[in-house]
Amino acid sequence: MANSEDKPKDAAEVSGGVGSITRREVLVGSAATLACAFVPLSALAFDGTAKTSSPSAQVLTDSERQTLQAVVSRIIPADESGPGALEAGCAVYIETSLAGAYQSQKPAYTAGLAALNAAAISRAGKSFTFLTAPDQDEIVAEFEHGKKVGDYADAASFFEMIRRHTLEGMFGDPFYGGNANFAGWDLIGYPGARMYASPDMQKMDAKIPHSRLSAEQLMHGSR
Amino acid sequence: MAPVNLPKTDVAIIGLGAAGGLAVLPLARAGLKIVGLEAGGWFRPEDHLPDEIRNNIRHWPHAVQKANQEIPTARVGRDGPALPRPLYHPMMNGVGGTSLHYWGQSWRLTHWDFKLRSETIRRYGTSAIPQGSTVEDWPLTYEELEPYYDLVEYTIGVSGKAGNIQGRPDPEGNIFESPRQREYPMPPLRHAGFADHMASAAKRLGWHCYRPPAAINSVPFDKRAACFYHGFCGSGGCPVDAKNSTAITTIPQAEATGNLKIVPYAHVIALESDDHGRVAGVRYIKEKQEYFQPASVVLLAGYTYENTRLLLLSKSKAYPRGLANNHGQVGLHYMSHTRNGVMGLFPFDLNRWYGTPAQGVSIDDWSDDNFDHSGLGFVGGGNLQVPMEAKPIEAASMSTFGKAPRWGSGWKSFVKENAGRWTPVWAQISTLPFEDHFLDLDPEVKDPLGYPVCRLTIGLKESERRAMLFMQDKAEQWLREAGAIATDKLPLVPIGLSTHAYGGTRMGNNPETNVVDRWGFSHEAPNLGILGASVMGTSGARNPTLTVQALAWRTADHLIKEWKSIAV
Repeated sequence: MANSEDKPKDAAEVSGGVGSITRREVLVGSAATLACAFVPLSALAFDGTAKTSSPSAQVLTDSERQTLQAVVSRIIPADESGPGALEAGCAVYIETSLAGAYQSQKPAYTAGLAALNAAAISRAGKSFTFLTAPDQDEIVAEFEHGKKVGDYADAASFFEMIRRHTLEGMFGDPFYGGNANFAGWDLIGYPGARMYASPDMQKMDAKIPHSRLSAEQLMHGSR
Repeated sequence: MAPVNLPKTDVAIIGLGAAGGLAVLPLARAGLKIVGLEAGGWFRPEDHLPDEIRNNIRHWPHAVQKANQEIPTARVGRDGPALPRPLYHPMMNGVGGTSLHYWGQSWRLTHWDFKLRSETIRRYGTSAIPQGSTVEDWPLTYEELEPYYDLVEYTIGVSGKAGNIQGRPDPEGNIFESPRQREYPMPPLRHAGFADHMASAAKRLGWHCYRPPAAINSVPFDKRAACFYHGFCGSGGCPVDAKNSTAITTIPQAEATGNLKIVPYAHVIALESDDHGRVAGVRYIKEKQEYFQPASVVLLAGYTYENTRLLLLSKSKAYPRGLANNHGQVGLHYMSHTRNGVMGLFPFDLNRWYGTPAQGVSIDDWSDDNFDHSGLGFVGGGNLQVPMEAKPIEAASMSTFGKAPRWGSGWKSFVKENAGRWTPVWAQISTLPFEDHFLDLDPEVKDPLGYPVCRLTIGLKESERRAMLFMQDKAEQWLREAGAIATDKLPLVPIGLSTHAYGGTRMGNNPETNVVDRWGFSHEAPNLGILGASVMGTSGARNPTLTVQALAWRTADHLIKEWKSIAV
């Protein structure tokens, strides 16, 4: 099994299609361990890239959504190092989450996004979305440092929450609507979710072909 | 609706996690009829997705989590500030409990841990015991527990390399461990590049680095696969059954005897006792129906917080202050491991992405009493460990080491270069019980059924701060030797809820200061046994699970041998 990932040999490994778990990886993995191990057959056959999605449920107003998109763009901007949070679907990730797992945090978003707009209007007479990037950055920095906006005193905790959620969207499994086209994983060089990592893949100088499958696709096939 | 009275069973066990799920095996093999009440359900291998959001960020949203409805509160000191209450309980419900997704680290304690008090006084004098500490020697020795450690290692499957077999040290293993009767049943988890890199650095420092033991298969074991090293093990269940949770080891073996009946989604609300002080059975709710399960013997095997809470909630004529609490000891002698570590940034890629945390390397040169503590102002020390496995959100949520902003293009280019170039070194220190650190019922916060949640009153003592700082210096030294160009030490703050929480039902010979006797049975209610880290009187400098399991087996063994006198 030496070098099986250092020098990709299967066309499938370099095609960007089944870029991660190759038939050989699974077979080597299972042969090296045990024949009765649970091996997701779908992972052998699946061909495709993860789908991106729009929010599975919309819980923000259009204006809130625009503000959210603008602020995640400042937390992780698109620039020479690659797509940013907006392009990766972080706003989709956050809104989808607010409709489900993060329901309880929806009021904090409503208040925080409104405060961003209030700060923008008092600075330049325009809502946050329509400010220049440097002006937006100054407001985000004020939030980071906990500056009060009128009666709103939760700027720092709102900043920490939206930063945390933006990172989840950027670097989490694409199943949840973020990390579109694996932009986040490509950014940091994470070689992707897979079912098996060979000994060579754990060498410090390993060149690992990037897997391009979500956990759902790896385990259960396309959904 | 009136409670349904069920037929009496020999043993009712509350909680089928690492402890309860282990104890059922010897009991079932002995022919006792057991009812296992578990708050969660069953999981299949295909439920265990390699998904950081599901496992690590949202803590298993696909599972019914009773624990998340009753998250304890925490405050720093009796009059101190409340700590923020987390959204998720650190432990989980399910057949197998948190052993479904733990790191699988399966260390033994050392002989010193069991005699910490007397050994410290012997070597450094009485004043070396920190003021206010209620620490006692354990009522048993390492040597008494050793056969049970061995049984658990060979039953569930633990990989590792012995460092001391019957007194013969082997530098391939941990030379500081106490003597074992034989080698581990499996070799250690396989080598990983960065772990080997850290081992070389430790060797240059003259430290003794070893690959730590884990309840994870390094080779096929008992018809289950070896680890796939896919890098979603921490807080993730194993899709190939290579992590030896009780759900795939002892529980199915116990079920196969026909003597274990598992009741999933059973929400236990109280233990009932009779006027003579014997436990009569367990009240629980399942699908909105209340049941009473009578039992000759009840084993309480919840997590540390729930063990104390259930006892305090179970008031009766015989136990007006809560079951087994007529001496007022339930909830006392609480402690937990602190969150302590140093992050190191390197000028090259570490490739820690895959593997499993326990696949890293460890150092015990600075733990226990393995060095001279004169003048240091603390007892014990810590185990250092570098884990493998860096999941992407965790990797990108890195410290910026003072070198970059926390967002924007500057941050983005920083993580682009460095998210794969940092590692934590964790330093778990020996913590001690103190008279003002305890668990009780929160006077205000209640669960959805109206029962108070558990409340932690904690702090960080000066001796612990010193130990943490001492260990941070060692961790930093190790990182620098390995080539780190920057380090970031975690702040020394008291932590609230912990996955390594100890005490509340401490084990000891003296009923005035302990809840259970040397066998794990209540000093007051003779047919009540308690399993879990809640019985431990010291934390040790390493993960508790194997010790919890060895103690659970020993308690079960005692029950089998003394069945006639305990069950009456």
